[in-house]
Amino acid sequence: MRILIVEDEEKMAKALRTGLEADEFSVSIAHTGEDGFFLASTETYDLVILDLMLPNRDGMEILAALRQKNVSVPVLILTSRDTVEDRVKGLDAGADDYLVKPFAFSEFLARVRALLRRGKQESGDKLSLADLEMDTAGRVVTRGGKELGLTAREFDLLEYLLRQKGRVVSREMLARDVWQETARYTPLDNVIDVHIAHLRRKLDDPFRTKLLHTVRGVGFVLREETL
Amino acid sequence: MWIRPKRMRTRLTLMHVGMLAGVLAIYFAGVSVLLFWQMSGVLKQLAAEDLETVKGLLFVQDDGQVGVREDYHHHTDWKQVQERLLEMLGPDGAILYRNEKLGDRTIGGVPFAGEGEHGYSGRTARMSDGTPIVLISRKYDLQGRTILIRVGYSQDLIWNELKETLLILLLASPLVLAGTAYAGYKMVGRTLDPVTRMADRAEQINSERLNERLPVENPEDELGHLAGVFNAMLSRIEQAFEQLKRFTADASHELRTPLAAIRSIGEVRLQENTGAEEYRDTIGSMLEEVNRLTAIVDSLLTLSRADAGQIRMQVSVFPLMALVREAAALLEILIEDKRLTFTLAGDESLGAEADRLYVRQAVLNILHNAVKFTPSGGSISAHVRCKGLSQVELAITNSGPGIPVEQSAKIFDRFYRVDEARAGEDKGAGLGLSIAKWAVQANDGEIGVRSASGTGATFWICLPAVGCASPSTKPSN
Repeated sequence: MRILIVEDEEKMAKALRTGLEADEFSVSIAHTGEDGFFLASTETYDLVILDLMLPNRDGMEILAALRQKNVSVPVLILTSRDTVEDRVKGLDAGADDYLVKPFAFSEFLARVRALLRRGKQESGDKLSLADLEMDTAGRVVTRGGKELGLTAREFDLLEYLLRQKGRVVSREMLARDVWQETARYTPLDNVIDVHIAHLRRKLDDPFRTKLLHTVRGVGFVLREETL
Repeated sequence: MWIRPKRMRTRLTLMHVGMLAGVLAIYFAGVSVLLFWQMSGVLKQLAAEDLETVKGLLFVQDDGQVGVREDYHHHTDWKQVQERLLEMLGPDGAILYRNEKLGDRTIGGVPFAGEGEHGYSGRTARMSDGTPIVLISRKYDLQGRTILIRVGYSQDLIWNELKETLLILLLASPLVLAGTAYAGYKMVGRTLDPVTRMADRAEQINSERLNERLPVENPEDELGHLAGVFNAMLSRIEQAFEQLKRFTADASHELRTPLAAIRSIGEVRLQENTGAEEYRDTIGSMLEEVNRLTAIVDSLLTLSRADAGQIRMQVSVFPLMALVREAAALLEILIEDKRLTFTLAGDESLGAEADRLYVRQAVLNILHNAVKFTPSGGSISAHVRCKGLSQVELAITNSGPGIPVEQSAKIFDRFYRVDEARAGEDKGAGLGLSIAKWAVQANDGEIGVRSASGTGATFWICLPAVGCASPSTKPSN
């Protein structure tokens, strides 16, 4: 799938490209608004990632011009302006999603996947990883056939990680999706860490193969890996 | 065209002089009217006296003609006597005599009924040629004949007198006005002098010299009051500037700390040739610092928006107990982890009227703080109750080491930490309580702390209440 990144900050563009390419996307970069507009209107992309602060032509202008030309490609806006008004303006101009800098790459990747409906995200009632099995309908989770006895919160946490298995999940994503915490400055990091510690005690401690891993400075990932 | 002088001094002086000129004009008019009445009174009096004189000088000639010895003047010192107009009429109204001054004019025409019969009849009238006069008449029986004697004086006598007086007054007015203008100009100048001095001083006050104050010459008068008010305002601005300066200094310190860490961690690791695992660890450690930076910047942004008044509160009424319970549930795992006991007591029916989201934030921050600073095995209690009729108070007490009294005033300051040494190990930026303070105050509430070192601390929040004003709704049991 082809993605166009319109971003004047070279380092940022490069980092995003590297990250996306690791996830097997094909990525083009435009460093100015004009280039971005030209590429987006002449080539076919599955997604455009648009920075708002661009030299000469502002990202919002590009977006409006694209929509006027009936280019209906999904657009993800990246910006450092984070007021509600900015967000509303962006979405009104025809953006499909809006991400405020600085963001966690895991969060960015999740948004990209959601926009492309390419969630390899597991769906359905039965989830599994290695010898871990979860029945979300009956709310039963076993590992090696043994019931783990999770609390409700631990169960939700594990379910979320399991649906995103193999992918790093940031604390912000957990706060928003598992705790349903929308405010940005809530002191939830400690709470999440303690829950993860509890979950790990039940999930991994009795077993040789560890499934729940902490990626320092980024978040957590559920994957089969022997350390 | 209306000319409006620029300087207040000139304007005030002109107003002053204008007002005086107006007053003088009214005064002159009043004086004129008064003088006129007075003088016509005097003239009538004189005419009456004159009439008596005339009566004494009357004679009837042999042929029945009436005459007056006009050559005799009783009041020779009063030269107006020569202006006398004299007329005598018979009972049938026929003119018996007219003096030389009168000529062939008549003073009063046909006599009215009863004219001069009982004492003097005095009036102002017009002569047959239209000259306004003052006129006195009286009837006399003279040698068997009834004669009506009329003595009149032209009103011109009064007018001339009046004109003279007014002329003197008018000639004197410019002098009076000029004197007043000069004195007024001086006086206004002296009154406005403090303003000039205040303006001069104010001109020198800028952000570098905010400690300067305007001169207060007399704190009792209006200008002194004005200067006092300005000085109070300057004090507040100076204070705000101080706060801002300290905040900027603190903010740059707080931002530099993680930046310095990122830099040294990276540099040190690059100097060594180590394996992938070590690099991973280093990058992870750098990312942790980045997260800390992000959190600080986010908080600072919230506060600066709050300072700029860009955050609007969406006020609703919500039960306070439920909100505290929700916040506690969110932090429950931390409370359990430290084996703390948490208790919540109070009236479930009490509601707060505020922006729920921001109040929740404030409560979370305070509660989180309490959890952080209460030693393992300690306790936290929350209490919700009415404070007066219009406020509801939430008090959160913990059994921690407490806060020294001298620090409790600063605890809501930005970046302030009770124990500076803890800063490193703790991820917080020291902004949680500042945000709580702002959130509460933006909702017309108050926030504070009661503490004695060693016995724990009580943080309290007061918010506009619903359910406190009507005690009847609460069963008194």
